[in-house]
Amino acid sequence: MRDQSASAEDRRLLEQIRRGETAGAAELFERYAPALLRFADRLLSDRGLAEEVTQEVFVKVITRAHQYDGRAEVSSWLFAIAANACRDRRRRERRATIVPLEGVPEPAHKGEGAEAKLLTRERRETVREALNDLSEEQREALILARYHGLPYSEIADVLGISVGAVKTRIFRAVETLKARFTPGETTWNAAN
Amino acid sequence: MECRELIALALEAHAAADPESTGPLRREISEHTEACPACREELARVEETWSRLGEDPDLPMTPQFRRRTLALIDDEMLRARIREFRPARRFPRAMLQAAALLLAVAGGFWVARASAPKSRPDRTASGSPAVSPAALESAGSLSNVSYRPADPQGRIGVSFDVTSRQTVLGKPEDPRMARLFAYLVSRGAQTSGEKSRAIELVSTHYGSEKTPASPDVVRALTATLRKDGNPGVRKKAADALAGFQMTPEIRTAFLDALRNDRNPGVRLVAVDALAAAAKDSPDAKTIESLREKAFDPTENGFVRAKAASALKAIEF
Repeated sequence: MRDQSASAEDRRLLEQIRRGETAGAAELFERYAPALLRFADRLLSDRGLAEEVTQEVFVKVITRAHQYDGRAEVSSWLFAIAANACRDRRRRERRATIVPLEGVPEPAHKGEGAEAKLLTRERRETVREALNDLSEEQREALILARYHGLPYSEIADVLGISVGAVKTRIFRAVETLKARFTPGETTWNAAN
Repeated sequence: MECRELIALALEAHAAADPESTGPLRREISEHTEACPACREELARVEETWSRLGEDPDLPMTPQFRRRTLALIDDEMLRARIREFRPARRFPRAMLQAAALLLAVAGGFWVARASAPKSRPDRTASGSPAVSPAALESAGSLSNVSYRPADPQGRIGVSFDVTSRQTVLGKPEDPRMARLFAYLVSRGAQTSGEKSRAIELVSTHYGSEKTPASPDVVRALTATLRKDGNPGVRKKAADALAGFQMTPEIRTAFLDALRNDRNPGVRLVAVDALAAAAKDSPDAKTIESLREKAFDPTENGFVRAKAASALKAIEF
């Protein structure tokens, strides 16, 4: 469960936005833009599109602040807007699904040598390829759980599905990735 | 805990941002795996998978993006305040005008009908011969129907175009079909909807190697992109042109649209099309226009961001 004070602070910022106070929007941006950018980047594999989506989230928050009904966390609402925007982008720009990683600028790794950089890049590409091979639903749920630490109940709010469906999506995603990352025989059987 | 529950529960425990909240669950998992070698092995594979996902580092936010977005937020907040304080009209002027016009037309028609002679009209006001209903039936449908109020002699008028439906069949590569489409896009279609449909058909059938877009079609689409009053139609024209091989004529039309079109959706299509063409053959005008847009503080945030990311992708 999220920190209660953080949740209350998010609602206060949204109230400021409703009242037309720019400081509220700027503070909300500072809190969530980095996470939303990472989320969109992992879903779209394109920095330009991820930045567009992040901007779109904040434009929508400003224009639709009065529509937030308070049932879910503000953070869930923001991620839900981002997830929808990413789905729209993927539908509109089919290229986004096949954009190779060469188009994505590397995050900086201070002090790394050329060999280490290459290795890091290769590992990153392997992970991105594996994520891209998952279904969109599985990828969304897994990214929210693995990279954003969202509890299952909040992932359910973001994606508009039940907690059970979140469990299933993440379980299946990990099963697929496990077969890819750790190939080999297993004696384990879910029916045990 | 049963073996079949273990992995799902372990994943939930891994996903939790706050490890303390899942302490009891973790202990239970640990106790189970100590006694169950198969689950222990399986859990090790899941943990390795979870850890491998960490090899995809987070994308950092650049200072430029932060600055750009905060400026966009400022703009949007200002717009939101303007929207909020815009005085609402009690009765929109257009509604009142439409209602007055409707009343006038209905009243005029009722007066004209009440005072009209019972006999069939023999001639129109312009002196052309009257059209018999039988002739109308064979002639086809009527379009552009309008009514004239009663004249001093008490005669009312009904004006219309008599048309019969025509169907023209032909292969897309037939130049006559291309000319027909060009005509429909540029002048023939009467409504924006009809024009949009014509542009969609052009997009579907032209632009491939087998049926390249004819100069007539390109001219009609570029003229529509420059002049059509409906932004939806202009965007359709831009989308269609974006699917064609880039020519100097199309590039100029996109550069004009990027500079002058009032609709950001049209400008976004122009950025995309110009950027895609510039990837293969960068030209100075395109790069300069994209740069102007990327740094124009008055430009729409999405267009600016798109132009900036397009520039990044072009090799100078």
